[in-house]
Amino acid sequence: MTQRARNWLLLTPATAWFLVMLVLPVSVVLIFSFGERGDGGGYVPAFTLEQYANLPARWAAFKNTMVLAPLGTVAAMLIAYPLAYFLAVRTSQKWKTMLLVLVIVPFWTSILIRSYAWIFILGGRGIPALLEMIGIEGVRLIYTPFAVTIGIIYGYLPLMVFPIFVSLDRLDKRLLEASSDLGARPWATFLQVTLPLSIPGVATGCLLVFILLMGEFLIPALLGGGKVFFVGNALVDLFLQSRNWAYGSAVAVTLIVVMLVSVTIYMRLIARLNTQREDVSLM
Amino acid sequence: MRLYAIFVYLFLYTPIAIIALFSFNAGRHASQLQGFSLKWYGTALSNPFVMDALETSIVVGLIAATLASLFGTMAAVALQGVRGPVRALFDMMIYVAVMIPGIVIGIATLIALVTAFDHLNPWLAAIWPTQSAPQLSMGKLSLIGAHTMFTMALVIIIVRARLSGMDRALTEASADLYATPMTTFLRVTLPLIAPAILAGFLLSFTFSFDDFIIAFFVAGSETTLPIYVFSSIRRGVTPEINAIGTMVLAVSLVLLIIAQLILRRSDNR
Amino acid sequence: MTKHVDHISKKKFMEELRRYQKGSVTRRHFLGVTGLGMASAVLGSAMPGLRPSAAHAAGDIGDRVILATWPNYHDPANFDIFREQTGAYTQVNVFGSNEEMLAKLQAGGSGWDVFVPTNYTITTYVDQDLIEPLDLSKLPNYDPAAYDARFSDAGTVNGSVYAVPKNWGTTGFAVNTKHNDGQALTSWKEFWDITMGSFSGRTMVHDYQLTTIGNALKYFGYSFNSLDEKELADAERLLLEVKPHLFAISSDYQPAMRSGDAWLTMCWTGDGKQMNADMPEIVYVLGKEGGELWSDYYAIPKGAPHREAAYALINFLLDPQVNAREVLAHGYPTADGNTMALLPKEILEDPILYPAQELLNALEFGAAATLTDPSRAELLARFKSA
Repeated sequence: MTQRARNWLLLTPATAWFLVMLVLPVSVVLIFSFGERGDGGGYVPAFTLEQYANLPARWAAFKNTMVLAPLGTVAAMLIAYPLAYFLAVRTSQKWKTMLLVLVIVPFWTSILIRSYAWIFILGGRGIPALLEMIGIEGVRLIYTPFAVTIGIIYGYLPLMVFPIFVSLDRLDKRLLEASSDLGARPWATFLQVTLPLSIPGVATGCLLVFILLMGEFLIPALLGGGKVFFVGNALVDLFLQSRNWAYGSAVAVTLIVVMLVSVTIYMRLIARLNTQREDVSLM
Repeated sequence: MRLYAIFVYLFLYTPIAIIALFSFNAGRHASQLQGFSLKWYGTALSNPFVMDALETSIVVGLIAATLASLFGTMAAVALQGVRGPVRALFDMMIYVAVMIPGIVIGIATLIALVTAFDHLNPWLAAIWPTQSAPQLSMGKLSLIGAHTMFTMALVIIIVRARLSGMDRALTEASADLYATPMTTFLRVTLPLIAPAILAGFLLSFTFSFDDFIIAFFVAGSETTLPIYVFSSIRRGVTPEINAIGTMVLAVSLVLLIIAQLILRRSDNR
Repeated sequence: MTKHVDHISKKKFMEELRRYQKGSVTRRHFLGVTGLGMASAVLGSAMPGLRPSAAHAAGDIGDRVILATWPNYHDPANFDIFREQTGAYTQVNVFGSNEEMLAKLQAGGSGWDVFVPTNYTITTYVDQDLIEPLDLSKLPNYDPAAYDARFSDAGTVNGSVYAVPKNWGTTGFAVNTKHNDGQALTSWKEFWDITMGSFSGRTMVHDYQLTTIGNALKYFGYSFNSLDEKELADAERLLLEVKPHLFAISSDYQPAMRSGDAWLTMCWTGDGKQMNADMPEIVYVLGKEGGELWSDYYAIPKGAPHREAAYALINFLLDPQVNAREVLAHGYPTADGNTMALLPKEILEDPILYPAQELLNALEFGAAATLTDPSRAELLARFKSA
């Protein structure tokens, strides 16, 4: 068997799988997005741009997603970075693994259950009741964009801590020592040595979280009270309530395009910021 | 700095603590503590729907992770020797698979398969030799299919990263010593990429076990654990759900500790 | 048949039931004190049809049944009893709108055995071939003659019975009077106005096109079922104006009302009754302009995986003794005369369950067209995503 034939053989199962479970479904969505809604719901074949013309009706959902997804990503990054720095640079080898594992453990309970715990914490009998005891009344947290942001940070923090930790941990400590030996202040060392070297980790973490947030549905549904609407929520409604497959497909296609475009722009920016482009990979 | 870390850990663990605390609640309501009790653990364990959902989640997770690790590793190894348009096409598929939001994968798979089944079922009934032709419908198979697709892309990425970090001189040396490609693969490459495959397998299983949004659309009448939890939250949570969450967490922790012990022992050898 | 409940006084029965529901007594205690355990045992041996003893012995209805229903709509104790009698465990899946149920059935493979559609949706399910005619011989507890036809005739389509009545009810609103100087509201106009005023941030509306749009239409005095373009545009304008003042858009409003997070909500009869019983400051109001009158049914989807268990469950829930306990727990009125005969007078005279005739006269049944017409579904989606 030639090497070529062997490679083809090895690639066959994966190719077949991608064709049936990825290329076919995405193609169907693309085709359906040019169709029409059936009388009782579902899809009727047609060729029309009507669904795309109707997209402005979901403008608010796209706007919410495009605002809260980057915002949540940045917030998670800002909270995760100092922790990752602490774990990678300031923690002794003995504690490092354990503390790192502790960051991931909450990830093992379902996001559904964890969000439910937040409904309780942010609801009237949680934090607002505590605030009332110290005299601050009428605070409402649950079912607000704030609650959704908290849920997002909570849900995705571990995903952010990990890559940043890895990039900081790989960093050669001798560089830091050299910097301080040369008389640089801690802040200067951080800004000129540590931060630039950790950019690949930050970039990877942000990309991961951003991708997941763009398709988020659960956190806004559970913590947003049906008022904070992401594209994901719009999609669930279109397929599970109004049964408008054609329009839903057009929204889905648009979401894919928006994602591909914003991720491509993002990768370009990071590549420019950081000349070693190879470091910015998906994993 | 340390204070900050403590604060973040508090943030991470307060909800978990609340979940665990309420799982020992004697009362039916999830918002008032009414004394200590283990009864919700009993309720959860004797509820056939919980057990079925757990079984479905584990079976689907294991099958999807196995298929993804096998096919993903095969593809990653083959891609080492492939250049040109095939490689570019494959890279694009992996990129798209990872990039497309889970919700879109779920919806796309649902409408594609439902439409395909609508066309296939009458045809199947016509050519089937006996009266009762099988009906294709959404269920475990479509769920395994969707999970395998996504996790296979993850495995390819992970294994390929490991392969590209591997010293080519090793395989070349092996070939110079007249080892067959198969021997080289089994004796040299496989041991080197085994940790990556294992990591890919674990990641795939975790993803599948925890996935709600894809399963929500493609699982048909099957109920996975996250789907069960979702519908319980909608009907008003009883501490049963807290008990399930606490048990899953405890089992994961125990498995992690066992894995650590095994690794440590093999390190010491 | 009433004598089984008469082991203790009706008042005592209600108290015990409340205690049981709050979890302060066990089921065994509850069944023991109220005599219901005895009652089910006695009835079971006396009426073979009521207790499928063959099924219990042979287990041929299987060990499970899946019920798709609405929030806070059953007495959990009844499912425990059903399990004890038949060995079948009931899984309850909860939905917030008829659209959601329809979408799930249309996509195929819902896996449900029994579901609870509302009167106006049944013709659509029949048209789309999603439900099957019921075999009434398997439902000996269903006594059509005992039902008020107003609340049972929607189950019959083209001469076949596709669905049997569960209970009926109204869609009004519940208001926590503590926040309005002890005053209740009286109309949908006040509902929407106060939401934009002193109740801003404290009101909930359903995640359900029929009621949320319907009651917005009532603000202008239009029909609850309107499909008129101009009238719907008015309703949409109102909804968009109200949206920033809402606490949440959700059909499961009891937790937020009870915790005090929400002060005012669109509300179905039974939720109103349940909240009012525990917190008298929460009162249930029918808007004087009108609103919805509805009736829910039990139906079996095509391809139900546990059909025998489905029939057994429906039959069990239609047993007047069981149904009476359901009514006491969920607080929705029943149209079944046999069940009503078992209910205490306080319930039959309760103004929440059985409102005055002039209030009922203003209400409308939902219209089938509202379910299938895309304009209303799209309006609600625009409102939610705004």
